[in-house]
Amino acid sequence: MTAHAKSSNLERNLTKLLGQERVLCTSDALLAWECDGFTMHKSKPRAVVLPESTAEVQAVVKLLHAAKVPFVPRGAGTCLSGGPTAGADAVIIDCARMRNVLQISTEDLFAVVQPGVVNLNLTTEVTPHGLHYAPDPSSQSVCTIGGNLAENSGGPHCFKYGMTTDHMLAATVVLPDGELAHLGSATGPRAPHGIDILGLFCGSEGTFGIATEITVRLCRNQQEVRTMLASFDSMSAACRSVGEIISAGLIPAALEILDQATIRAVEASIYRAGYPENAAAVLLVELDGPHEVVVEDAAEIAKIFAAHDALKVEEATDPEERKRLWKGRKGAFGAMGRIDTDLYVLDGVVPRTKLEEALEKITEIGKRHGVNLTNVFHAGDGNLHPNISFDGRDKDATARTIAAGHEILQLCMDLGGSITGEHGIGSEKLDHVSMMFEPEDLDVMARVRAVFNPDDLCNPGKVLPQRNACAEVSKWPQMVAKVLDVDDTQQPPESTS
Amino acid sequence: MNTFEDIATWLHSSPGRVRVTGSGSRAHTLPPMADATPLQLSQFNRIERFDAGDQTCTVESGVTRVELDVALAEHNLELPCLGGGTIGGLFAADPFGPAAAGCPGPRNLLLGLDALLADGSAFKSGARVVKSVAGFDVHKLFVGSHGRLFVATKLHLRLKPRPRTEQWFANDTLECDQALKLVHALRHEAEPPTVLQLRRERNGSFTVGGRVTGRSVHVTSLCKRHELVECGQPKSFHVDVTASPGEEVLTGDALPSALPSLIKALPENTPFTWLGGGRFEAAMPNPQATDAALQQLPQANASGTILTGADTRRGVGTPTDPGEQRLAVGLKNALDPNGILV
Repeated sequence: MTAHAKSSNLERNLTKLLGQERVLCTSDALLAWECDGFTMHKSKPRAVVLPESTAEVQAVVKLLHAAKVPFVPRGAGTCLSGGPTAGADAVIIDCARMRNVLQISTEDLFAVVQPGVVNLNLTTEVTPHGLHYAPDPSSQSVCTIGGNLAENSGGPHCFKYGMTTDHMLAATVVLPDGELAHLGSATGPRAPHGIDILGLFCGSEGTFGIATEITVRLCRNQQEVRTMLASFDSMSAACRSVGEIISAGLIPAALEILDQATIRAVEASIYRAGYPENAAAVLLVELDGPHEVVVEDAAEIAKIFAAHDALKVEEATDPEERKRLWKGRKGAFGAMGRIDTDLYVLDGVVPRTKLEEALEKITEIGKRHGVNLTNVFHAGDGNLHPNISFDGRDKDATARTIAAGHEILQLCMDLGGSITGEHGIGSEKLDHVSMMFEPEDLDVMARVRAVFNPDDLCNPGKVLPQRNACAEVSKWPQMVAKVLDVDDTQQPPESTS
Repeated sequence: MNTFEDIATWLHSSPGRVRVTGSGSRAHTLPPMADATPLQLSQFNRIERFDAGDQTCTVESGVTRVELDVALAEHNLELPCLGGGTIGGLFAADPFGPAAAGCPGPRNLLLGLDALLADGSAFKSGARVVKSVAGFDVHKLFVGSHGRLFVATKLHLRLKPRPRTEQWFANDTLECDQALKLVHALRHEAEPPTVLQLRRERNGSFTVGGRVTGRSVHVTSLCKRHELVECGQPKSFHVDVTASPGEEVLTGDALPSALPSLIKALPENTPFTWLGGGRFEAAMPNPQATDAALQQLPQANASGTILTGADTRRGVGTPTDPGEQRLAVGLKNALDPNGILV
C-alpha cells in the first residue's frame, strides 16, 4: 500500500468515527494548531480531531495506536513550552470540545469535569456555591483543566494554595494503547494501599495518556480578599520585602512583582492599571481570610513596605478596585506585544532567598546579549519569568534571544533552582534538561514513561531528549544547539526497559 | 553500612530480596518477608541542608520526625503533616494522608529526592526549590510505596512557618449525629482546622478533635463559635487497638458525605477514626466483621484495606481499578524488574 493510500485510510477511518466536521486535514484548517504559546517552534500536524467523550477519545487512540501513528493531546494551546506542538506525522487530539462540568459536590468539595473545561469557567460555575478552583495560570480565561493537569500548571495563587497537582483528586485516563485507567478517587489521589500514580501523571506533559474526566478539589471562598500594591524605587527593595513577608511567617494568597519595563508596557497598553511608571518595581500582594486576620496581616505588611521605603502603597477590598490592581499583572504578557513582534517567556526558579541576586544577574545577561528583557514573576515561589521581546524575522535577534535564555536557565540552576517552575519542558527545553538531570536520572524517567507509553506514540519527542524524534519536533532543539554551538548528537541512553 | 555508596555497592552485589526499614514503627503493617535482608536506614540521620529563608530542607531518610521537629522549631518552621518515625518511613508509608481537607499531606511536601534503584544505581527526581515541573515526578511514587520501588536516600522537603497561634481541641462524649454536625460545620469554615479528626471510642461515644491555627484572633473566634474544648496535642492519631486475637485494623478513604454510611457499615462500638483528609482506621473485632465491612464499603462510597492482622490478611481490600493496578505493576517491573525490594 502506498503512503498516500495509507494516509487516506486513516483520515477516512477517523472521519467514520467522528464525522467530517470533527476531523481537520486541510493545510489552512491546521494553521491554528501549528504552535502553542511558544511561537518559536512551529509545525503543522497531519490532522486534528475533535472528540467529545471518553469513548470517542478511546476509539481515536485505539485507531491511531493500531496504525502506529503518533498523536498529541491538546487543550487550549496556551502552553508556553511547545508541549502540544505536533510533528507533521502526528494527529492532534484536541479536547477543547469536551467542556462539560459533570458533577459538583458542595458537601465533599469537588467537581468532576471534562478536560476541555476552561479553568476560569469552572470557578464561575461554582461561585454561586461560595467555592472556587484555586490554581489560576495567567491564561486562566482560556486554558483548560486538561491542559493544566498535563502541565501541572501554576499561577499567582500557587504561593498559598499550591500547584495543580495539589488540587487533583482523580482522573479517568485513556492510555496510549486506548485502554482506560482510573487514577485516584474523589477521596484523594492515592489510596492508603496504593502509590501516587496520579501524582506522577500530573505534569507528564501529555506523554502518559489523555485525561478525559478529571476530579478536582474545590476551595471555599474567603470572607475577605484584600489586594495591596506597593511601588519601590529599586527591584532590590521589592525583593527584600518579599523575603521579609515570607520570613515573618505570613502566607499571602499571592506575591507578584513587575519590573519597570513591564510597568511601562502595561501602562501604554489596553491593560493600563494605573501603576506608577516611575517605580522600578511594583509588588502585588493578595491577602485572603477572615476579616480580622486580613486586617492584621495587611497592617504587618504595610510596616514591611514602609521599612523598605515603598514609594506608594494602594489597598483594595472592593472587587472592582482589586480587579484594576490585578489588571496590569494579568495583562502583562499581552502588553508586551507592544514592545516587539515576538515574545519569549522564560520560566525558571531560584530559592526565594536568591531572588535579588538572580534578577541582578539576569539584567546583566540581558545587557550582554543586547536583548530587550522585562520581568514579571511569582516572587513568593521564586518563579521567574524573564521575557525577551524580539523580532523573530531577525535571525541574529533570535539567536541572541536563545543564547540569553539558555544563560538565564543556567543561572537558575547555579543558584540551586529549576529550569522550569510551571511551563514544562515541552520541546522548548529539551536542550536544557541536562542542566538539571544526569543521564541516569533521565533513564529512570524514560523507564517510567515506557510503562504508560511503550511505543512512544503519545506526544513523542517531548520532555526527554531522544534519538528518534520526528524531524519537525527535533527542529527546535537543533536550532538551539546551533545557536549555542553545542554537540546536539549527545543524547541520554535509551530506556533499558 | 556507613555511606550510601556502601548501600549502592551492596545492592549491586545482588543480595537477594531486601526490605528497607527506618525505625521499624510500621513494620507490622507489611506482609512478612522472612527471606528478605533488612536494609536499615536509621543511621543515615543527617539534616543535610536547611534553607530557612526558602522554607525547604534536605534530610537523609533516617532522620527522625522528633529530630527534624526540634531543628525546625528553632527557625519557627514545621513540616505540616502528621506521622512519626523516620522521615523516610513517614513518606514511604504516608499513614494519614492530609490531616484535613485542603491541608498538605506528604505527597504535597516532597519536592524531590535522591534514590538508589534495586540494582544500586543512583538517580534523582524533582528539585530542592518549592516549585519545579522539570521532568517526570518520579519522586511522587515514593509516597505510599513502602520502599518497594526504590530506596530513597535523601528527601527534599517543603516546610511551612509555624502558626502564630495554635489550639488543639477535643469535644468528647458526643452522640454520632452531634459529632457529624460539628465535623460538617468545621469543614465548611473558610479557614477550617488544619487537623480535624472524628473518633468513635470503645464505649460508642464520639469525639471531634483537631488543631486550629493562625492569628490568635481567628483561633479564638473559631474555638468560641463552635464551643471547642481546649486540650493538649494527642499522642496518636491511630485507632485504639487492644491487640486481642483476631483483631484487625481496617484502613481506607471515605468522603465526608459517606461518613454516616461508613459508620453504619462497621460493627457497633468498633473503635474508629477519620481524618478530615479522608483517611479512616477501624479496629475490627474479627476477620468476619472485616470481610462484611469490606463488602459494604463500595456501597458506602469508601475504599478499604486490611492494615494489620494475620500475615495472609494484610493488604486484602476493596477492589482496585484494573487500569491503575496494571500501571502499578508496570512501574514496579520497570523500576525493580527482579523484585528485589519487598
